[in-house]
Amino acid sequence: MPYTNQEYLPSYEELTVPELEVTSAVFRSAAHHLGKYCDNVCKEFMLCRSEENDPRKCLNEGKAVTRCGFEFFGKVKKHCYAEFNQYMQCVDHSGRLMDFKGCRKTQATYDNCIKQYLGQDRPELGYFSKVRLHNTSRPRPVLAPHELPERVPDPPSPEELRKPTDKLKNPHLTAVI
Amino acid sequence: MASYKQDLPPKGGFDPIDFAARAPKRMFGGFTQFGLFIGVTGLAWVAWSYVKEIVRKEKLELNDARIAVEPFIYAEKDRAILTHYRRCRDEENELMKNVKGWETGTLWGEPVYHNVRSRYIKPSLEELVTHMSPKEQHDMIFDKLLR
Repeated sequence: MPYTNQEYLPSYEELTVPELEVTSAVFRSAAHHLGKYCDNVCKEFMLCRSEENDPRKCLNEGKAVTRCGFEFFGKVKKHCYAEFNQYMQCVDHSGRLMDFKGCRKTQATYDNCIKQYLGQDRPELGYFSKVRLHNTSRPRPVLAPHELPERVPDPPSPEELRKPTDKLKNPHLTAVI
Repeated sequence: MASYKQDLPPKGGFDPIDFAARAPKRMFGGFTQFGLFIGVTGLAWVAWSYVKEIVRKEKLELNDARIAVEPFIYAEKDRAILTHYRRCRDEENELMKNVKGWETGTLWGEPVYHNVRSRYIKPSLEELVTHMSPKEQHDMIFDKLLR
């Protein structure tokens, strides 16, 4: 590991949080609504990650993302469990890509239930694929300044070399002379 | 002597052998073949222009689903990999605590990377799998969750 004991690595307590233990089919089927519900926290986390290039600095934003995921799934479980389950099973069994085209009826039921209890519409097609702007109060990160090494002294110019020098200072020349 | 039937040519001799070259009989003529090709291609072109839009929308929906879920995956992955770094560093401390001249994270005291600006450094594959058994290393490299 290139990390010395002096460098900062977060402790086990900081890194242990309740994780979203759901399968890929659940994520796939809940993706659009989950993304819209947690849009701001997700954008904040992804911005932090791309600006800092350091996962150690974006831990809090990541925890906020997971917490928002828990909130959303909690609400779905409380109000729309059956509809979501039906939709998820359909998506899961619809082939290797888990695509949505064969599951439009269950999707409509699920969307209606979400609209009723969470009050949010399905985002328009292509919403996530487009570039999304985000307003943040976090300051732009600045890297530590680069410290160049000391400047090496210039070599002597030809005029300096042509100056007569004291013979005693150059013992190898006195040997020749 | 047993009775036998001699294998003789039929009465009147064999039929004459037909050795002339015969061209196969084609279903369509030349113009019809070209016409069929152009016709089918044209129909397919028109049909595709309708289907293309539907396929584009389906792919876009799948792409949306992937991007929407990315932050959750990355958050969990970041925490997991930082846990792994921590465990590797602790393991190295434990392993080399009685070795004279060894400092964790360096090569006998010399830093591994020249990092003036304190950037985040991603460890190489060798550094990540150092404390794993060969079986686990193979699984990590080839991305297997279960053997």
